[in-house]
Amino acid sequence: MTAATRTALQIRIEAFTFHGDDAPVLRDAALSVTPGSLTAVLGGSGSGKSTLGKLLAGWLRAGHAGQFRGSLELGGTVLEFRGVPEDPRINPAEWSRRVAFVPQDAAAMLSSVRATVAEELAFGLENRATAREDMLRAVERTAARTGLSHLLDRDPATLSGGELRRLAVGCAVIAEPDVLILDEPLASLDAVGAAQVEALVRGLCGAGTGVVLLSQAADRLAGEATRWTVLDAQTAHDGRTVTAAGTVTAAGTPAQLAGSAELERAGVIGIGGPGGIGPNILGSGVAAGARRSGPVPAAVPGPGPASLELRGVGFGYAGDPRRHGTGAQDRVLRDVDFAVRPGEIIAVTGPNGAGKSTLLRHFNGLLRPSAGDVLVCGRSIAGVPVGKVAASVGLLFQHPRDQLFERTVLREAAFGLRQLSGKAGAEGKARAALAAVGLAGTEAAHPAELSASRQRLLALATVLAREPAVLALDEPTVGLDRHGLEALQGAVDRAAARGAAVVMVTHDLDYARRNAHRVLELSGGSLREI
Amino acid sequence: MTPRLHPFTTLTLAVCAAVVTTAAAYWPLSVAVALAAVILAARHGIAGRVLTAGAVILTPLCLSLLVLHGLFFPEGQTVLAQWGPARVTAEGLGFALELGTRTTACVLVFLLFSFTVSVPDLVSALAGRRIPPQFGFVLASTLTLLPAVAGRLDRIRQAQETRGMVGGRGLLSRLGTLRLQMVPLVLALIDDAGSRAQALDARGFGSPGPRTSYREVADPPAQRLFRAAALVFAAAAVAGRIMASWPAGAAS
Repeated sequence: MTAATRTALQIRIEAFTFHGDDAPVLRDAALSVTPGSLTAVLGGSGSGKSTLGKLLAGWLRAGHAGQFRGSLELGGTVLEFRGVPEDPRINPAEWSRRVAFVPQDAAAMLSSVRATVAEELAFGLENRATAREDMLRAVERTAARTGLSHLLDRDPATLSGGELRRLAVGCAVIAEPDVLILDEPLASLDAVGAAQVEALVRGLCGAGTGVVLLSQAADRLAGEATRWTVLDAQTAHDGRTVTAAGTVTAAGTPAQLAGSAELERAGVIGIGGPGGIGPNILGSGVAAGARRSGPVPAAVPGPGPASLELRGVGFGYAGDPRRHGTGAQDRVLRDVDFAVRPGEIIAVTGPNGAGKSTLLRHFNGLLRPSAGDVLVCGRSIAGVPVGKVAASVGLLFQHPRDQLFERTVLREAAFGLRQLSGKAGAEGKARAALAAVGLAGTEAAHPAELSASRQRLLALATVLAREPAVLALDEPTVGLDRHGLEALQGAVDRAAARGAAVVMVTHDLDYARRNAHRVLELSGGSLREI
Repeated sequence: MTPRLHPFTTLTLAVCAAVVTTAAAYWPLSVAVALAAVILAARHGIAGRVLTAGAVILTPLCLSLLVLHGLFFPEGQTVLAQWGPARVTAEGLGFALELGTRTTACVLVFLLFSFTVSVPDLVSALAGRRIPPQFGFVLASTLTLLPAVAGRLDRIRQAQETRGMVGGRGLLSRLGTLRLQMVPLVLALIDDAGSRAQALDARGFGSPGPRTSYREVADPPAQRLFRAAALVFAAAAVAGRIMASWPAGAAS
C-alpha cells in the first residue's frame, strides 16, 4: 500500500453526547482522510460539522467534553471509546501535532498575547521547546506558504479577515500535521481573500497534507474535493422522545452526490456562495442558495420623503478606531450621497475593508459623519441619540455575537420592544419575528448555545421585531445555510412589501444582483451604481 | 531616543522605588516619587491615563484614610476639632498624610510601569527565566484585559442602543444602564475564554516541560548590574529602616 492511499485519520462515531445533554449531537457517522486528499463534509446549520471537526482534532475530548462511543484511528493506532471512565485519553497538544484544526472564528485560534504575526506563528513551537533557529526557519517557511511573509511584523489585531484566516491556518500547519481540518474557511471572505485561502489549501494538499473541509456550501473549493460526506440533522424516535442528531446521510464523489436529494435536504448551498448558480455542480434538482425563481419584486416607491438619505457624508477614523476624526488622508467615506425609498432593496458591495460597515453605522448614528448629514424619514439625525433613531432604523451587525446579550432567545428578541409595543405586544412581536426566521421552538435556549447560523437569524429577528422604516443588514448571508438564506430572503421581501427601505451590505456580488433592486459599489470612499 | 530598557529593569526600578518609599516613611520623599512618576508619564505621553487610573484607585483610598485616621486616631494628642467620639487630631491627619502620599507614590509608580512596559517583552523575559508560562500569560492577559473589556462593553452598548436603549445622563440612569451591560459582559468574557482555552490546549500551552522563546529581548550587562545595585540599595533601605526603629520598638 502506498502512502497516497493509506488512511491518515479515521473516525467512527456511534454517538457523541455533550455533558448535560440528553440526546447525542452526532450519531452513526464515519469519515476517513487520506494523505494529500481534500475531503469535504457538507451540511447545513446545526448538522454537527464543527463538533465532528473538533472531535477529529482532539479539541473536544471524550470524557472531558462529552460522552463518545466509537473509535478514532490515527496513523495505524486505533483508539476505542465506549463512553466509560476507562476510555483512552487524548493529549490535545500531542494530537494537534498530527491533526490540526482551524475554527470558524479564526481569531479564536490566536493566543492574543503575541505582538506580531511571526510570534503568533511561533507560539505553538515555543510551547514545544523548539530551538530558536528551528523556529525562525519554520516561521519563514510557514509564512511563505501562507502568503504572510510581508506581514510578519504586523500586530495580528490589525489583519484583515483573509489575512487573519491565513494566519490561523499558518498557526495550525507550522507543526507540519498530517491532517488539517478547516471549519468554514471561506466564510465572510471577499473574492481575493477566498482565492488566497483556496490556493493555500491546494498547496497543502499537494505537499501531502490531508485536508478536511467543513462547509455548508458546495463551493468551488468543495468542488475540488475527492470525496464528499453529507451530514444532516436527522430526527429519531427512542420510544418516548424525538431527538435530532447529525448523521451521515450520503457519501461519495462530488459527481455521485451532485443533485442528490440528501444534499438538498441538508440545506447545502450551491457553488459560488449564497447568490451563486447551482446546477453546474449540484445538478438541476438542487436549488442553489437563495436563487430566485423570478426577479426581485419591483419596488413601489412609497409616498413622502426617502426613508433614508445621506447628503455629502464624509468620515475618517483618526488614531483610535472607536473615535471619529477628520484626517483627510484616511477618509473612509467621501462625499457620499444616496437615498433609499420605502419598499426599495439596495445592496452595497465592495472588498473587505472598503468601509461598508462604517457606512451602515452612520444610518442610526453609531458613527457620526465628519461632513454632511444623515436623514431618516426626512429628518436629520444629527444630535439625536442612537436609542431614539433605533425606532426607525434597525441594524443587523456583521458579527451576530456583538448583537446578542440576553439570557434567552425570547428575551433577546423582546429587548427594547416594550417602549414600542407595550408589555403584552412585545412578547407577541418577538415570537412572530422568531417564527419568521424559523426559530420558533428555541425561545428558551441561550443565544450562545445556538449555531453560528442561527445566531445570525436570531440577530435578524431582533431587528425585524421592531418593524423599522429602514432595515440595514451587514453581511446578512454569511454563515447561513440554504434554509437560513430562504428565511432571510423571505423576511427581507416581507419587510420591503410593508414599506421598509432595505440596505444590505455584502461582499457577494451575485447575491446582491439577485436580491436587490439596485447594487452600489463602495470603493475609494465613494458609492457608484454598478 | 533613549535606549530601550529591559522589562526587568523597569520592574526592578518600580519595585525599588516602592520599597524605598515605604521604608523611608517620609512624606516629602513620597511626594517627590509621585511627582517623578507623573513627570515620567508626561514624557511618555501617558500622563492622562496614569492620572485617571490613579484617581480611580486613590480617591476612595485616600478618602477612607482621611476618615479612618483623621477622625479616629487613638494616639492623637493635639485635638483640632471634636464631634462626639470623632476627634480630628493633628497626629491623625499627619498619619493619614504619611500613609496617603506613600500609597499614592507606590500606585503611580506601578501604573507608570504597567502602562509603559512592553507586554510581549515582559512575557518573553519571564518565559526565559523558567517562570511558568501560565504566569506570564495571566500577567499579559491582565494587562491587556482592560482594553478588551472596554471594547466588549462598547459593543454591547452599541447593540443595546441599536435596539432602542437611550442612556440617560443622571447617575441612577447610568447605573441602570451599567447593570444591563454587566451580565452580558461577564457571559461574553467567559464564553471567549472557553473557546480560547481549547485553542491554547491544542497549541501545547497547557503541557508541562520547558519552553523556548521566539522573541529575543536584549538584556545588556549594564542593566543587569544596575538591577543588582538597585536591589541592594532597596534591601539596604529596608535594613536601615528596621535598625532605626528596632531600639524604639524594643524600648516601648
